[in-house]
Amino acid sequence: MSAQSRYRFAFDIGGTFTDFVLLDAQTGRLETYKTLTTPQEPSKAVMEGWNVLLNRVATNGDGVETAIHATTLVTNALIERKGAKTALITTEGFKDTLDTQREMRYDIYDLHSPPVDPLIPRTLRWEVRERLNNFGEVFLEFDDASLERAIAAVGASGAEAVAICFLHSYINPAHENRAAAHVTKALPKINVSVSSEIAPEIREYERMSTAVANAYVQPMASRYLGQLVADLKSGGYKRRLYLMLSAGGITTAETAARFPIRMVESGPAAGVIATVFYGERLGVKDIVAFDMGGTTAKMCLIKGGQPSMAYTFEIARVHRFKRGSGLPVRIPAIELIEIGAGGGSIAWVDEMGLLKVGPESSGASPGPACYGLGGTKPTVTDANLLLGYLNPGYFLGGRMQLDQTKAEEATKPLADALGLSVADAARGIYQIVNENMISATRVHIAERGEDPRRLMLLAFGGAGPVHADAIARALKMPGYICPAGAGVTSALGLLTAPAAFDFAQTFAARLSQDKLAEMDKVFEALEKEGRERLSEAGVPASEMRFERGTDIRHRGQGHEIVVDLPWPKLAAIDIVNDLRPHFYERYEAIYGHAHKHLDLEIMTCRLRAIGPRPTVTLPQAPTGEGGAKVAHKGKRSAYIPDRGTFAEVDVYDRALLPAGSEFHGPAIVEEKDSTAVIGANAIARVDDKLNLVIKFTDIPADAGA
Amino acid sequence: MSRTAPRIDPITLEVQWQRLISIADEIDNATIRTSFSTIVGESHDFGCAMMDQDANGLCQAQWSPPQFCTMLPITTKHMLARYPKETLRPGDILITNDPWLGSTHLPDYNVVTPVFHKGKIVAFVGTVAHVQDVGGHRGDLEAVDMFQEGTRVMPTFFYRDDRPVEIVHEMIAANCRVPDLVMGDLNAIVGTHRVAVRRIQEFLEDYGLDDIRLLSTEIMDRSETALRAAIAALPDGENTHEVTGDGYFEPFTLRVKITIRGDEMFFDYAGTSPQVRNAAINAAFNMTYSTTVYPIKCMLAPRIPNNDGLVRPLHVTAPEGCIANARFPAPVKARAKVMKHIPPLIFGGLAPLLAGEVIAPAGGIFPFRFYGDDPRYGNFATSVLPHGGTGAMRGADGWPPVAYPHNSFITPTEIMELRTPVLMLRKQMIPDSGGPGWRRGGPGQEFVLRCIAEEPITITIRPDLMKFAAPGILGGHDGRRGEVFLNGQRVERFPPLEFAAGDECVVRVPGGAGYGDPKTREPERVRRDVELGYVSKEAAKQIYGVEV
Repeated sequence: MSAQSRYRFAFDIGGTFTDFVLLDAQTGRLETYKTLTTPQEPSKAVMEGWNVLLNRVATNGDGVETAIHATTLVTNALIERKGAKTALITTEGFKDTLDTQREMRYDIYDLHSPPVDPLIPRTLRWEVRERLNNFGEVFLEFDDASLERAIAAVGASGAEAVAICFLHSYINPAHENRAAAHVTKALPKINVSVSSEIAPEIREYERMSTAVANAYVQPMASRYLGQLVADLKSGGYKRRLYLMLSAGGITTAETAARFPIRMVESGPAAGVIATVFYGERLGVKDIVAFDMGGTTAKMCLIKGGQPSMAYTFEIARVHRFKRGSGLPVRIPAIELIEIGAGGGSIAWVDEMGLLKVGPESSGASPGPACYGLGGTKPTVTDANLLLGYLNPGYFLGGRMQLDQTKAEEATKPLADALGLSVADAARGIYQIVNENMISATRVHIAERGEDPRRLMLLAFGGAGPVHADAIARALKMPGYICPAGAGVTSALGLLTAPAAFDFAQTFAARLSQDKLAEMDKVFEALEKEGRERLSEAGVPASEMRFERGTDIRHRGQGHEIVVDLPWPKLAAIDIVNDLRPHFYERYEAIYGHAHKHLDLEIMTCRLRAIGPRPTVTLPQAPTGEGGAKVAHKGKRSAYIPDRGTFAEVDVYDRALLPAGSEFHGPAIVEEKDSTAVIGANAIARVDDKLNLVIKFTDIPADAGA
Repeated sequence: MSRTAPRIDPITLEVQWQRLISIADEIDNATIRTSFSTIVGESHDFGCAMMDQDANGLCQAQWSPPQFCTMLPITTKHMLARYPKETLRPGDILITNDPWLGSTHLPDYNVVTPVFHKGKIVAFVGTVAHVQDVGGHRGDLEAVDMFQEGTRVMPTFFYRDDRPVEIVHEMIAANCRVPDLVMGDLNAIVGTHRVAVRRIQEFLEDYGLDDIRLLSTEIMDRSETALRAAIAALPDGENTHEVTGDGYFEPFTLRVKITIRGDEMFFDYAGTSPQVRNAAINAAFNMTYSTTVYPIKCMLAPRIPNNDGLVRPLHVTAPEGCIANARFPAPVKARAKVMKHIPPLIFGGLAPLLAGEVIAPAGGIFPFRFYGDDPRYGNFATSVLPHGGTGAMRGADGWPPVAYPHNSFITPTEIMELRTPVLMLRKQMIPDSGGPGWRRGGPGQEFVLRCIAEEPITITIRPDLMKFAAPGILGGHDGRRGEVFLNGQRVERFPPLEFAAGDECVVRVPGGAGYGDPKTREPERVRRDVELGYVSKEAAKQIYGVEV
C-alpha cells in the first residue's frame, strides 16, 4: 500500500439512510458519516458522503485504495416490482411453470390468500422446441426455427431483458447456450440471463425463477452500477468498485452486474460480516447476530466464525412473514431469519382476547404513538418507553422527544381489552415481542444442530440492545454483547469481507468410488471459473482459496444437507472411511440419527472461491479512570425483566463508560442510537474496544462457552 | 356454555401457545428434510400435531394438511383404548394405518408418541404420513374390499422402551414394494418425535410446569368461545345442498343439511348415496368429519391456530353405510374422490348465508404414479400430485393450479424424470378451462407423458371431474372436465395401466368453477384473459359477450 492510497471507503445504501465509513488502514482510525438516501439518484447521496469524508481527512480520490458498496436497490426493485420488462424463453410445454410454481398454498386456512404473481406475464413467454433428458442427452433436437420465432417475438415486445431456462440445463447447458448466442446476435442490446449460468441446479421452477429474477433486475443494476462507477471516477476514484453479495463476499461491479440477483441481501450480509469481525475481536466465534430495527428483527447463526448459509431464498413475498408466499431464488446467501418484530410493531388483541404483537408495523410514519407524529396504535417502542427503558429526552441522542402520555393513551384501550393495567399491558407487549423472536431463533439454532448454551448474542440495530437481555436469557445463552459503533455496522462489515464468489453445479449421482474422480472434474471446472473471478477482483493466485462442499443425502431422500469436503482431491479419499463418517457426523448433529445401511447420493457440488480477509485493526481504548461511576447519569424506575417487577435502576451514559469498567445489573445504558437494558442477574463489562459484554450470573455452572 | 374466568393470563397463554406451535413447525420441517419418498419430501403429504394428556388436539404445524390434524386426536384416542396410558412407558411409539381408526386409507400411517414428564404422560406427538406403498394391488380405484389395498396394521407398538419392535418393522417392510422409502419415512418420523419430546420437556421445565392441563383447557376454551361467537353472529337457519361426483362406475351424490342454531352448527349427510362395492371411493367417517369442519374454520376462524376447541360447536352425522360413512371393509384407497367434494358441498350449502366467504368448487387433485424397474433408473415408485385451477370467489378469479382443499406440493418435473423413465413433455394451462363467471375459475392443466423405459412400466392415474365438472355458483359456469388419453384413446377405466416405451399419456386436469354471471364480467378483465390466453376470442364473444 502506498502512503497515498491508505484509505478504504465503504458505503451501504439502505432504504432510509446511506451509511459511510472511511478507514485509515495505517492507523485504524475510522471516520463515519450518515445521510438520507436519495432513491431517485442514489449516487447523489454517495457522492455527498464521499466528499464529506475525503475532505474530513484531507485526501483526494487517489488516497482511496478501495471502494466497497452494499445496496438494497435490487431488493427494492423486486418488492416494488420496478424491474425491467422481461421475457422468458423456455422449453416447449413449460412456459406456465412460472404460474403453476410448486402448486402449494402457503396459508392453509386463509383461502383468500393469493399466490405470488410471476415477474413475467404469460404474454412475454415463448417456447423453443428442444428437450434433454435427466442424463443431459438430447431427446428432441434443438429446433432453430422455433427459436427464431421466439427471438422475433421478444424483439417486437420491447423487452429489455430475457431469461433463458430449458429443462435439465443444469446437467447440459448446450441448448441454453445455443439459444443465448442466437439471442445476443439478433438482439445485441438485450440483457440475457441463462439459467445454467445463474443457478445450475435441479428443480426447474426454482432455477427458472432465479434466472427470471436476475434478468428482471439486470438492466437497472447495470445502469445504476455504471452511473456509480462514473460518478466515483469523476470524484477522483480510479480503481475498481466492489460490491457485497448476499453470501458475504465481495466482487467487482462487473461481476455483480452479471449476477445482480446475488446482491439481493447485500446490506444484511454486510451486517453479519461485521458481526463476525466484532466476534473475532472479542475472541468469540459462536454467535447469534441479532439486528432489531423499526419493522423487523433479523437473526443469523455464526459457528466457528462462519455465518450459516442458505441456498434457497425467497423474494418479494405476498405476505412478508409467510414462508412460501414469495418467489424462490437459488442463490447462496447468508441465512438470516426475519421476524416481524421491530420497534414499530403494533400490538393488538385477537378474537380470543389474546395479546398479539406485529407483524404489522407503524413504520417510520406515523411511527409509534410516543413519536407524536400522529400514530395512535400501541407499538413496541411505546411499551419500551412505558417500561422505563427509553429516556424520553435522549431518544436518538436527544434529536427526538418521546411523549409518555401519548404512549399511555395508545396502550390504554389495549390494556382495557385485556383487563390489565397499562403497565402490565406494556410488560405483555415486551414479553410477546420477545417470545416471537425467541421461538424463531430457538428453532433456527436447533435446526442447525447447535446448542444455544454455547452461543453469545450480539445485538445491534436501534432496538436490539433493548431486547437482548430477555432473549439471550430465555435461550439460556451465557450472555450477550452490545458492540461499539453499532450505528454503521453494515458499512464496517464491507471493509472486513474477503473477495469471494460461490458456485454450484448439480451433479446427481449415487456415491461410488468412481464418481469421486468425476466430482473432482466438476470442482476443477468450477475452480477455474473461480480463479478468473478472483483474479479479476485483484486477488493474487497465491492467496486464492477454494472451499468445496456438496449437497448430499441418503439415497432416495427428498432433501439434502450441505457438507464441507475438506479434501483437496476426492479421488484420493475412501468413501467408507472418510466420506461416510463425515456425512454421518454432520447429519446426526442436525437430526440425531443417520441411516447407515443406505447408500449415499450427491446432488450438487458447491465451491466457494475466496481471497484473503482484509485485516482491519481498530485502535484500542485506554483503560479509563474511575470505573463505571463516571458514566452514571442517575436512576429511574424500570421493569426488570428477570425479576418481573419495577425498580429504580442505574442509568449509564455509554459514551462515558471507560474501558475496563464493570457494573452490575439491573442497569440501563444509554447511547445515541440505542439503549441497552440489563437484567438483575447480570454483570456488564466494558472491554478494551469499548464493547459492552454482559454475562448472566445466575446460569448453571456447566453451561456457557 | 358456561365459561369460568380465565386461569392463565392472556400474555402467558399467548407466549406458551406460540411456543408449542413452534415445536410442531420444527417437527414438520424436520420431517420434510429427513424423509425419503417424493410423496412426503416433495409433496408434503403428511401432517404433524400435538395433543394434550388426554389426546385432545392442541396445535398443529402451520403447513400441515388440516384433515390430518383433526383426525390424529381421534386416532390417538382409539390407540389409547387398546393401550391405556398407564401401560405406556417412555420410549414407546404407537402406530396404525387402519382406515377406520386412522386417516381412512391404508397408505396413511399414524405414528404417535407419548411425552412423559415427571413420570406422567403430559402430551402426545402425532404424525400422519402418506407412505409410498403398503402392498396390495397397484391400482387406485378398482377393488371390492380394503384387503386388496394392502397391509393393515392395527394399533400396536412401533417402538417399545426406545427399541424398535422388530416384528412390526419387518411386517411393514416385508409387505410393501419399496421398503427403503417406507421404512426411511417412518424412521425419519420417529427421529422427529424424539426431538419433539425433548422440546416439550424443555418447555415444561422453562415454565416450571408439571403438565399442560391448564394451558390446554385455556387454549381450547378460548378457541371454542371465539368460534361460538362467530356462529352466533350468523342468522339461524337451515339449508340443504347436494353435489354429484363422477364416482367410478357410477356417479354418487353427497347431500348435507346444514343447520345453524344459536352458537352451534349441525351437518347431516342423510340422503347421501350408499357406499359402493366395487370401487375404492368410499370415505370412512373420520375423513368426512375432518373435511366438513375444515371450511367452517376457514370461514369463521381463519386466524385461530387449529385445535380441538374449534370442533366442539360443530356436529357432523352421516348414516352408516353411506359413501361418507363407509362400513368396514369397504375399499377406500381413493376416498379423496369423495373427500374433495366436501368443501364445495359445505360452501355451496352456506352460499345463501355467506356469499362473501364462499368459494366455487376447484378442479381438485388428479394424482398419477409410476412403478417399475429399469436398468438406468433402478427400482422406482414416483408420485406426482397435480391440481386443477381453483374456484372463483367474490374477491378474485380462481387461481392457476394449486393444492385445494388439502395442501401439497407438486414433484418438480426434473425430479420426477431423475427417478423415472418417463418424460413430461408438456405441463401447461388449458385455455377456456376455467369456469366462466363474473369471477372466472382458475384454468386446469394438461400433462403429456412419454414413456422411455426399456421394459413396460406401470402408471396409475386417479382422475376426477371427468363426468361432472366443478359446478359454478351464483350464476357462474362450470369448469372444464378432466380427461385422460393413452396413445390417443380416451381412457375410461383406471386399473393400473401398462406404459411402454414410446407410449404417450395425456392427462387433462379440470378447471375451477366460476362465480356469478359471466355476462357481468368487466370487459377489460375479459380482454386481459384473452391476451393472457386463458380465454379464447370465441369464448369471450359467446360466453362473456365481449368482442376482442
